[in-house]
Amino acid sequence: MRRVRLSALLIGLIAILALVAAGCGGSDDEGGSGSGGDTGGSAPAEGKQGGDLTFLAAADVDYLDTGQSYYTFGYQVLYATNRPLYSFAPGDDAPQPDLADGDPQISDDKKEITVKIKTGIKYAPPVDREVKSEDVKYAIERAFSANVPSGYATSYFGDIVGAPAEPSKGVKEISGVETPDPQTIVLKLKRPVAESVAQALVMPITVPVPKEYAEKYDAKAPSEYDQYVTFTGPYMVKNDPKTGKVTGRDPGKRIEMVRNPNWDKETDFRPAYLDSITIEEGNDDLTVASRRTLSATSPTMCCDSGQPPIPVLSRAISQNKEQIGRVSGGGTRWIALNTTKKPFDNINMRKAVIAGFDRDALRKTRGGDFIGPIAQGFIPPGIPGFEESGGEEAYKDIDYMANPKGDPAVMKKYLDAAKEEGVTPSDGGDLLTIATNADPGNQTAQVAQAQLNKMGFKLNYRKVPQDTLYTKFCGVPKSNYVICPNVGWFKDFIDPQSLLEPTFKGAAIKPQGNVNWSLLDNKEIDDAMTKASLAPAGDERSQAWADINKMIVEQAVAIPYVWDDNITLWSKDVDGAMNAYFSGPDFSFTTLK
Amino acid sequence: MVTYIIRRLLWAILLLFVVSFITFVMFILLPSADPAVLRAGRQPTPELIAAIRENLGLDKPWYVQYLIYMRDLVLHFDFGYSYQNNVAVKETIFDRLPATVSLAVGGAVVWLLIGIPIGIISAIKRGTILDRAAMGFALLAISAPVYWVGLVSIYLFSKDLGKLAPIFQGSGQYTPFTEDPIAWASALILPWLVLATAFAAIYARFLRANLLDVMGEDYIRTARAKGLGERRVVFKHGLRSAITPIVTIFGLDLGILIGGAILTETVFNIPGIGRLAFDAIQKSDLPIVQGTVLIAAFAVIMANLIVDILYAFLDPRVRY
Repeated sequence: MRRVRLSALLIGLIAILALVAAGCGGSDDEGGSGSGGDTGGSAPAEGKQGGDLTFLAAADVDYLDTGQSYYTFGYQVLYATNRPLYSFAPGDDAPQPDLADGDPQISDDKKEITVKIKTGIKYAPPVDREVKSEDVKYAIERAFSANVPSGYATSYFGDIVGAPAEPSKGVKEISGVETPDPQTIVLKLKRPVAESVAQALVMPITVPVPKEYAEKYDAKAPSEYDQYVTFTGPYMVKNDPKTGKVTGRDPGKRIEMVRNPNWDKETDFRPAYLDSITIEEGNDDLTVASRRTLSATSPTMCCDSGQPPIPVLSRAISQNKEQIGRVSGGGTRWIALNTTKKPFDNINMRKAVIAGFDRDALRKTRGGDFIGPIAQGFIPPGIPGFEESGGEEAYKDIDYMANPKGDPAVMKKYLDAAKEEGVTPSDGGDLLTIATNADPGNQTAQVAQAQLNKMGFKLNYRKVPQDTLYTKFCGVPKSNYVICPNVGWFKDFIDPQSLLEPTFKGAAIKPQGNVNWSLLDNKEIDDAMTKASLAPAGDERSQAWADINKMIVEQAVAIPYVWDDNITLWSKDVDGAMNAYFSGPDFSFTTLK
Repeated sequence: MVTYIIRRLLWAILLLFVVSFITFVMFILLPSADPAVLRAGRQPTPELIAAIRENLGLDKPWYVQYLIYMRDLVLHFDFGYSYQNNVAVKETIFDRLPATVSLAVGGAVVWLLIGIPIGIISAIKRGTILDRAAMGFALLAISAPVYWVGLVSIYLFSKDLGKLAPIFQGSGQYTPFTEDPIAWASALILPWLVLATAFAAIYARFLRANLLDVMGEDYIRTARAKGLGERRVVFKHGLRSAITPIVTIFGLDLGILIGGAILTETVFNIPGIGRLAFDAIQKSDLPIVQGTVLIAAFAVIMANLIVDILYAFLDPRVRY
C-alpha cells in the first residue's frame, strides 16, 4: 500500500512536469511559413512619443567607444547614441546624411572626398559644445593608433594620404584629413578609390570625438575613452554630467540609455520616440528570454544573440506574428575548405563535395526555410550585386550548385575526375575539422561531419568555443585546419567589396585573424577585385562584384548554405523597427503602441 | 588556538599562490582564444594584433606575466584589468560579490531549514511512510540537475512564465539589497529554493544516516536508561554528535557557492561571481577568470578554517 502511494505521487509529479513541458514547448507544426516577408528593414509609419523599453540581451556590447565598436549589437547602441557622417534609417538601401549636410562630393580624379557637416549638433554633457569638422578628423586619426584598436580603419581608410600602415604610438595627425573650416572635412586619398571610401563613411569611426576631451583618455594604452565616451545621438548612455564617466553601463549586467538633452530633433531624421532603453544582459537562455518577451506586460524586446529557439519562433509565427521583426542578416554562412591542403587543393574534389552536400540539411540546423534562403554564392540579399548574380536562383547553371539537397551523380562525376588526377577522399588522412561547441553551429557541424563521412572523408573532428575557433584555428593558417564548418561573414556597409575582399582575396590572407578561411589565392580574382574596387557606385560596380562572386563560386572553395535573417521579438505593446544596415532592432525608430 | 589559526592562514596564502599559478598555466597551455585577436575585431592586421598584445602585456613570456600579476596583487591588491573592457577586475568582483553572497547565504539558510528537520524526522520515524516519502523525494532532488530544476521552476512558478502557480519573481529580476530589500528578497525566493533543493536533500539523507548511527551508540542507550526524555536524547545527545560532519560539508558547500553558483546564477540571470566567471571563461578574459578563481579559493579556504574552529566548540574532544 505504501509503495502504491509513493509511486502514485511520483507518477503525479512526472505527469505535471510533462504537462508543463508540453504547454511550454509548443509544436513544431504550428509555424514555419517560409522565408517570405519583408527582410529589408522596416519601421512603424507613425509613433507615440515617450515610454521606456527593456531589451533582454545575453551578452554585452563590444565597446561604446566609436573607434573600437565593430559588432552588430554594439552598433544597435552606437547608432542610437551617436551620429556618424552618414547612416541608414530602417528601410534605407542607401545611406543618408546624418552628421553630414548632404552627399559626399567626390573629385573627378576619385582621389578626394569633401563632406560638409551640419551646424547645431551638440555633444551631450559634459562636453556641451557644437560638433566641428576637427572632431571627425580626430575620430579618424585616433582609430589608427595602437591605443584605439579599430578592426577596420586600415582596411577601409588605409588609402587616406598619411594614414599609418601600422598602428601609431599615440594619436598622430593624418595629413590627408583636412578641415578647411569647422563645417568641412576633406579626405585626400593615395589611389582613386573615393567611391568605396565614401561608402565606408557610415562606419562608426566617422562619429565625432572632441579632441580636447578625449585625448587624455586616448593617451592610455589601451584607451580609456570607452568609459568616458561622448554622445551626439538622440540617446546617451547615462553618465556623470561633470566628469563624463559612463555610469549607465555595467558590463554583463545592463546598459541604460536615456535621452540626450542636447539633441536637436530638427537636425536629425530619427524620430526617437522612446524616453529610455534599458538593456538587461545575462539572459543566456534564449527560450526563457523569448517567452518573457512575448508575454511581457511592460515594453520589452529581445534578443541580441542568435535567433529565438525554433519552437518559440514557430509558436510566435502562428500566435504572435505582429510581435516578430525580421531583417536580412546581410551575410552568408558557409563551410570553408582549405584549398592549400590535401585533398581540397584539387578543384574537382572540392566540386564533388559541394555537389554531394545536402545544404538544405545544414540550413535546417539554423531554422530551415523560415530563417532565410539557401545561399547560392557569397553576396547576400540586399547587397548590390545580389540580383546581378542571379538572386536566390544564382548559379543553378553550374552543375555542382544546381541541387541544394545534393546530387550524388554530379558528385560521382567530380570524384571520378579527381581520381583521374590521382586524388581521392582519403588523401590528406584524417582531415582536421574545427567546429564550434555551441548550438546551433554545433549542430551544423555535426550534420556536415556526417555528410563528409558518408562521402568517404575521414575527419579529425575537434569542437572548441567559437572564439577559440577563430583566434586559434580557422583564423590561423599555420594551424593546419582543413575544414571549418562554422564560418560566415556579414556586411560592414552596403557594398559587396566589404563582403568579398576580406574573405576571398589572396592579399587579405594574414597569419592571424585571417578571414580568407579557404586561403584562396587566385591572381585573376585578386586583379578583378582591385579593378572592381575602383568602379563607381551603381550598375557597373554591382556587376563587377557579381562577376567576382561567380569566379569565387567557380573555384568551389566553400559550401555556402544560408543567407539568414535576424529575428527580434517584442511585447504586444511595442511596435518595433528593424534596421537593414546593422541587421537588428533600431531603438531610434521603435515606438510603443 | 591562535597559533593554529595563524598557521592555517599562512597555509592559505601558499594555497592561493598555488591556485593562481595553476589557473595561469592552464590558461596558457589550453587552447583558449587569443585575447589580443579577439580584441582586434573582425579583420585585424598583424601590426594591430601586435600592438594590442603589447598593450595588454601579452607579448611578455608567460612567467613574466605571472610575476607582474602577482606583484601587483600582493603589493597593491590589484587584480589587473579585464581584457575585454578594461574595467578593474577588483571593482568588477566586488560589484558582483553581494549578489552571490545573497544567493549562497539565503540558499544555505533554506536548505538547512528544510534538510535538517527532514533528516531528523526521517531518522526518528525510520521505516515509516513519512521516512520513505522524504527519502524518495530527496533522491529525486539529488538526481535532478540544478539547471533543469531552475528552468522547470521558472515555467511553473515565475510571475511572467509560470503555468502552475505564478507567484514568484523569475529570471532577471535581481535587485541589490541596498536598492530595495523587498525586491531583493522576492527576486531571490525562487533561486534560493532551487539552489536549496539538492543541498537540502543531501543534508537530509546525510543527517538521517548519521543520526541513525549515533542513536545506536552506547551513550545514547545510557542516556535513555538514565530516564532522559526522548526529545532530550535526540536533540542534546544524538543530534550534537550527528551534526558535526554536517558542519564540515556545510562549510565547504557554502565556500564553494560564494565562489560562484554558476548554474543557478545563469538560469536566473543573477549577476554574481559565477556568471562573471562563466562569461570570462567564454571570452578568454584571463584577469577576470584569475580573480574569480582566487575569490572562490579564498572563500573555500576561509570556510574550512571557520569550520575547523567551530569544531572545537561542537566537539569538546577537539583541541588545537
